[in-house]
Amino acid sequence: MKCGCESTKSYASQHRATEKADVLVNERLAEGIGLMVLAAPGIASQVMPGQFVHLRVTGGLDPLLRRPFSVYRAETGRIEILYQVLGRGTRVMSLAQPGDEFDLIGPLGSGWCVPDRIEHALLVGGGLGAAPLGMLAEELARIGCALTVALGAPSAERIVGREVFEATSRRLVVTTDDGSAGETGYVTEASERLLLESSFEVVYVCGPEIVAHKVARQAEAAGVDCQVSLERLMACGVGACLSCAVSTKAGLKRACVDGPVFDAKEVCWDESEIPPRH
Amino acid sequence: MSQRSLPGTSAAVDMSVDLGKLTLRNPVMTASGTFASGAEYSEFVDLSRLGALVTKGVSLEPWEGNPSPRIAETPSGMLNSIGLQNPGVDAFIETDLEALAEVDVPVIVNVSGHTVAEYAEVVARLEDHGRADAYEINISCPNVDAGGMAFGTACAPASGVVAACRAKTGKMLIVKLSPNVTNVVEIAEAVVEAGADALSLINTILGMAVDTESFKPMLARGVGGLSGPAIRPVAVRMVWQVASALHVPVIGMGGIMTAEDAVEFMLVGASAVSVGTANFVEPHSTVRIIDGLMEFCHARGIERVSDLVGALDHGVRE
Repeated sequence: MKCGCESTKSYASQHRATEKADVLVNERLAEGIGLMVLAAPGIASQVMPGQFVHLRVTGGLDPLLRRPFSVYRAETGRIEILYQVLGRGTRVMSLAQPGDEFDLIGPLGSGWCVPDRIEHALLVGGGLGAAPLGMLAEELARIGCALTVALGAPSAERIVGREVFEATSRRLVVTTDDGSAGETGYVTEASERLLLESSFEVVYVCGPEIVAHKVARQAEAAGVDCQVSLERLMACGVGACLSCAVSTKAGLKRACVDGPVFDAKEVCWDESEIPPRH
Repeated sequence: MSQRSLPGTSAAVDMSVDLGKLTLRNPVMTASGTFASGAEYSEFVDLSRLGALVTKGVSLEPWEGNPSPRIAETPSGMLNSIGLQNPGVDAFIETDLEALAEVDVPVIVNVSGHTVAEYAEVVARLEDHGRADAYEINISCPNVDAGGMAFGTACAPASGVVAACRAKTGKMLIVKLSPNVTNVVEIAEAVVEAGADALSLINTILGMAVDTESFKPMLARGVGGLSGPAIRPVAVRMVWQVASALHVPVIGMGGIMTAEDAVEFMLVGASAVSVGTANFVEPHSTVRIIDGLMEFCHARGIERVSDLVGALDHGVRE
């Protein structure tokens, strides 16, 4: 699901490889949320906004599979990832110390498409969904695109990436379920209002699937292009195992290579939208 | 790297293995469904180094596979219920096999079907194309409702599929056996009787995992196939049973992560091995295992890797 913009061409020239990466920083941002900075010059020099790395948690056999993480930010020689402690793998990560090493594969996937002419973009992040939007915000700011950002989380301390989005956006709207920061309510209420108030060329969204779906519908109603970054369980991360299937109007796609970013109009959000089988 | 520790090793250890109708440059193949048709891994692995490339299962018509989630991690392993999603044999020939036209590697195409006639027709179409060097008949996939494992868990239907495929080709016919049976030797004997040239085992073990938060199965389909190092002792035992009872080449697989794991299978009688789940963990696992096998033999003065096949010492371990 390539949009044909300039950025997609450069995926072909990327060299995907395994890379041993030293932990430089492993910071606990809130209960169960971490920020890890890794020294990975090969990946850092190539990664594009919305792409991900596949991280091996241990050198041993358990937990066995790698975990995919969006690259939140990249600068010379280092990448940053955000993670939520949800299972055995992320628990191991939360205990890592500077100097510990993780094996990465990257950069992987097809990231966000940035049109040649873009003046105003809306970024919507639900919870840790803000992670793949970090690099995008910095890239859009660099090319002179005005940004409006809506970030939502259950509570104030679970809002991530505030500094990056404050530094890059013209307007930042924060929502929390409990009202402990910003507006009380869901991020989808903010995005609905923002789409009515201003005009945007593209809406970029990442978060729980229900948030992505809702924002996709709002964007469609407003006649604005919408790109969504979708999350799926993955084993290989390189397109071979077919674990991460996404139903689209053009058939089943793989989140790991055809995505994780998809054109929202192409995604079959529920069974009724899946075309009949032939 | 092998060059550093072992100068000139390649000349010292004969890595080739004889599978009857096919001779491989080394005993390490990919396991079907874990390597697609190679293109996805070509940035990590020089495909021409593989003993053979076994492609993802292909059926007559396109198959959609099962709903998500399709995988779940389990202790030292994983469950999958992909359900043999594939574009159908015609698209497979046009894209996957054509992409392998110039690649110097034996290609073994894994064949699936809902009916005996479908299996045979897939083989027939692949024969017409010609790139496939051998076929692996999948009568052991636990993730499809019709066909798949239903054929591989009883002697008569297993024989029927194999005989129908045999009628379509003179090339090497490998039959992939299911571990989800009471007596694997009985099935093995039946498919060899029906014309199989070689046997590969094991396919995944039927398993299940439950999310104790949601009270739901971890896989949307409920059950799936267990793979990875967790199943290796079961696989080694079954390869040993089959290789001891029959005189056809056996390809061993099930949780191979290292060269020593591969050696284990060869000692109990496997002439070659397949690397599966390890590809997901380390994309270059196959070449690491090939290099490791060479080093293993060199370090012990073993001149031919095939000398390991069936070299199990039955004496009591001291």
